[in-house]
Amino acid sequence: MSEIVKKRVIDKKFVTILESTPNSSKIWIASLVLIILVGLYAFILQVLHGHEVTGMRDNVVWGVYIINFIFFVGISYSGAFISGILHFFDTPWKNAVSRIVEIITVLSLIIGPIFILLCIGRLDRLHYLFLYPRIQSPITWDIIAIMTDLVGCFIYLYLTFIPDFAILRDDEKLDVAPWRKKVYRFLAMNYQDTPEQKAILKKITRTMSAMIIAMAIVAYTVLAWIFSLTLQPGWNSSIFAPYFIIAGLYSGVGVIIICMFAVRKFFKLDLYIRKVHFIGAGVILLVLAMLYGYFTFSEYFPRWFSHKKNDVQLLDTLFSTYFWEFILANYIGVLVPVMILFFKRFRTINFITFAAVIAVLGLWLNRYLIVIPTLETPYLPIQDTRPEFIHYTATWIEWALSAAGIASFCLFFTLLVRFVPIIPVSELVESAQKSKIKVDQKRK
Amino acid sequence: MQQMKHDIKYIARILTLTGLIISYSHNIAAQEFELSDYKMGFKLSTKKNVDNSRTLEVLYQATNKKDRKDRIPIVEALIEFYASYQDSLVLLGGIKTNNNGIAEYIVPASKAIYVNEEGFQTFTAKFAGSEGLKRQKKSVEVKDLFLELNLAEEDSIKTVYLEAFLKDSIGEKVYVEDVDLVFSVGGMLSRMPIEDGTIEDGRYEFEMPDDIPGDLNGDFKLYAFIDDHDEYGTVLQMSESNWGVFDDIQVPEKNKLWTDAAPIWMYIVLTILLVGAWANYVYAVVKLWRIKKIGM
Amino acid sequence: MKNKNTEKKDNNRRKFLQLGLLSGVSAIAGTTLVSNLSQDTEEEKKAVSGEMTKVLTPDGKLVEIPVESLNHYPEAHVSTKEARKGIPNRKFVMVIDLAKCKNARKCVEACQKGHNLDYNEEFMKVQLIQDNEQASPYWFPKPCFHCEEPPCVTVCPTGATFKREDNIVLIDNERCIGCKFCVTSCPYSARQFNWGHKDKFDNKEQAYSPETQLPASEGTVMKCDFCPDLLRAGELPYCAKSCPMGVIYFGDKNEDIVTNGEETVRFSELINDRGGYRHLEHLGTKPNVYYLPAVNRQFPLERGFNIDEDVIERYKKVPYVQDLKKKGKL
Repeated sequence: MSEIVKKRVIDKKFVTILESTPNSSKIWIASLVLIILVGLYAFILQVLHGHEVTGMRDNVVWGVYIINFIFFVGISYSGAFISGILHFFDTPWKNAVSRIVEIITVLSLIIGPIFILLCIGRLDRLHYLFLYPRIQSPITWDIIAIMTDLVGCFIYLYLTFIPDFAILRDDEKLDVAPWRKKVYRFLAMNYQDTPEQKAILKKITRTMSAMIIAMAIVAYTVLAWIFSLTLQPGWNSSIFAPYFIIAGLYSGVGVIIICMFAVRKFFKLDLYIRKVHFIGAGVILLVLAMLYGYFTFSEYFPRWFSHKKNDVQLLDTLFSTYFWEFILANYIGVLVPVMILFFKRFRTINFITFAAVIAVLGLWLNRYLIVIPTLETPYLPIQDTRPEFIHYTATWIEWALSAAGIASFCLFFTLLVRFVPIIPVSELVESAQKSKIKVDQKRK
Repeated sequence: MQQMKHDIKYIARILTLTGLIISYSHNIAAQEFELSDYKMGFKLSTKKNVDNSRTLEVLYQATNKKDRKDRIPIVEALIEFYASYQDSLVLLGGIKTNNNGIAEYIVPASKAIYVNEEGFQTFTAKFAGSEGLKRQKKSVEVKDLFLELNLAEEDSIKTVYLEAFLKDSIGEKVYVEDVDLVFSVGGMLSRMPIEDGTIEDGRYEFEMPDDIPGDLNGDFKLYAFIDDHDEYGTVLQMSESNWGVFDDIQVPEKNKLWTDAAPIWMYIVLTILLVGAWANYVYAVVKLWRIKKIGM
Repeated sequence: MKNKNTEKKDNNRRKFLQLGLLSGVSAIAGTTLVSNLSQDTEEEKKAVSGEMTKVLTPDGKLVEIPVESLNHYPEAHVSTKEARKGIPNRKFVMVIDLAKCKNARKCVEACQKGHNLDYNEEFMKVQLIQDNEQASPYWFPKPCFHCEEPPCVTVCPTGATFKREDNIVLIDNERCIGCKFCVTSCPYSARQFNWGHKDKFDNKEQAYSPETQLPASEGTVMKCDFCPDLLRAGELPYCAKSCPMGVIYFGDKNEDIVTNGEETVRFSELINDRGGYRHLEHLGTKPNVYYLPAVNRQFPLERGFNIDEDVIERYKKVPYVQDLKKKGKL
């Protein structure tokens, strides 16, 4: 009896989130849709006029699109990795963040590949990738890895939703549209929380979480190999794959912290997402920041020290044309978060979120600095007079589409939060039950 | 009404067309081009071919007196080729110049051409002339030289033997002297010289270098070439040879990174990884179905 | 009273007659004469490759006729499947003699004409390379190297670029998806991308073949192709044909013969005697274009600056050029 009462009490907080959409939320959604529409217009322009409308030209043939691709996919893999670890090792406060992480994982894994599609010259021939694949090509590996990872993350996300769908299905008082109730029922897969079902679900969720960890590492390695298996100066580095994984994790944790902050603030979930979670995430961010700084240093220092001709050219470009970006990405992007997170005094929720924002921005710039300067300093010097062929400048179309990507991410996140409880209520019930049992035992 | 409109349009087009042709051709003539600025060049040359036929070639073009590089060929001009018989000309044939201003006539090997007392055959090319162009005539005198190539291997030395001779009135060989010639090997795009020398006493021989690859079967063509001799003109002879030392390293590559088929180990590793990953997914989905069944 | 059907037929008959008359005219006077006329002749105009040359008629009149052999080797036109196999039993190779190059840029122009390229699209690039401050700079014609172990072919996800048995690396524009991975993986920057639509892409006069790369298409990659259509017709590629200095030698490694149009020499001898080398050998791509070092130069380097201003601008970063500018010689 008390159990059922407890369920309802816990639900109330989330019921409001699920049932109603306040005006502020509607305005938020509307502005996101507006940004996406602008992006759509930019996309149509690109389809009609060709890639001429971007800033990419014959030397720098990869630009903002692939940078966004790496960035989003990095966040996704990082999310998969963290969520897999949280679940596999059954870490104590995983409830607060696990669903946020899993949603981030899936969403960025959908948005990332859309960016790479924007970079493809002939979208009408995409199916050739499946008709005539060449398995020696790192791009083929990347497609296979992303598809496998996407399916895996979807399955994993869905498995974690099932108990919640069951609770939502069973809650008669839930005041939502009938179609939503139908969806909950369908997606709940007849889950009645029987011991047998519970055992099976637990088992396959655990298997999938292990798979996700492995997939994350393998898949992001493959993506790093798209760069490091070429001969170009600046890319042909042996530590590119671990570097990408660390950098990806760094950006992923940053995005997770930002989302935690946003969810906590706008849905008033102060009770559930608490300071301790932020501090935990912040410590992880600190470790990753130091690792990221270490890896970046390891990339550039030996190049400077052994001063091979092409490396020197690359470093010259980095420290002249891209000087401020380099400072922001690799100095401020590392030192500021480290400063904030190192000292206990600064470990407040606001500061930690600020550190996360700096980390994410720095990471995006780091991706930019990996892709573009190498293409601007090839082995055979660029001897051209057209400025757009010598130096890459992104056009408004590329920025508009980047903004649309971020906006879509936020939009779908917002919509999902309104569809499914952002904290897994089933887990809350379980932990409440467990603590009740403990209390009862103590009493006894 | 419609019909008439169409008819009128049609007639109008024809008239415009004709009018334009008339005016335009005047136009071009009037604008920058003055025929008097150009000097007409009419050249006749002769070449003896491998099958003993003879090619007579006329190059008919106008060269700008002030700018030697500005050359305009005359096309579709009828050139008549003649051979001399005693004191008269016998018409061999008429050929029109092509788009490069070149007209070629091939005298077959079987055709008997009159040889004068000094042993020369005389060929003449004529252009009859027209409204705008003067008539042209050029002659060339040539002795009909025969080249015979023989490739023989003696004491495992590969030797090339050449005989160069004229034929007298009864068909006997008359060997010639002091003729420069070049031996070359035929390549796909051009001929590569391997030996040059002077014919003495109608003969020439040399040792074939033993490192000429030839084609897949070791075959190649050997050419003997006399370039624009005063008396004999240009003469070419060819012989097929099997003395090529083609090194058969033609094994096409397979299963490399850049071939159609990938290295085998890639297929194996990929299969293992994919099966390993997707097997788990299938397992999860199957178990999910079981959950559904239990709950029913 | 004619009904619609017969009217249509009449129109078709008229069109046919017009075209018949026109073709009779063009035999004498060339199609430029009729370019101002009805729209029916627009199709004829498009059918010609556009290049005209002056000739004299037997009457001494100057007319213009279309140039015949521009991209027109129909007997050498092969299907895409054949194009993937290549010319049998050949291993094409190119040798570039840096001692003779004086930046005449005739190779660049001939290639552009032959492949219908715009002014800024260059399959053959001529760069000014100065290896170090003290080194003597040299003009460096750079086509695609058609490497033995091409990194571009390795990374293509759809097999749109492929290496044939005759050493030539080609691109199939109908398979290319425009991912540009090959462009980023070529260490010699030999490849180019078609960023937008150009009118010349609509010229469907000749069926597409990877050997001619015509018509090119938007969103795909293109590069130097060693002109296999010319090779099948027994001719040298456009660049080798047109170099006034005889800098570019081309031939078959199997035959061991290369020629620059005037000289024909043994490939192995040329490389051995003149110290032939390959560019960036240490990268392991094994190029099929060899260079003969710039020793015993035929021309002083300054001769190469007799070109357009904007082309000279390209070399402004080379220390030698900066030096010349300082001295006021440029």
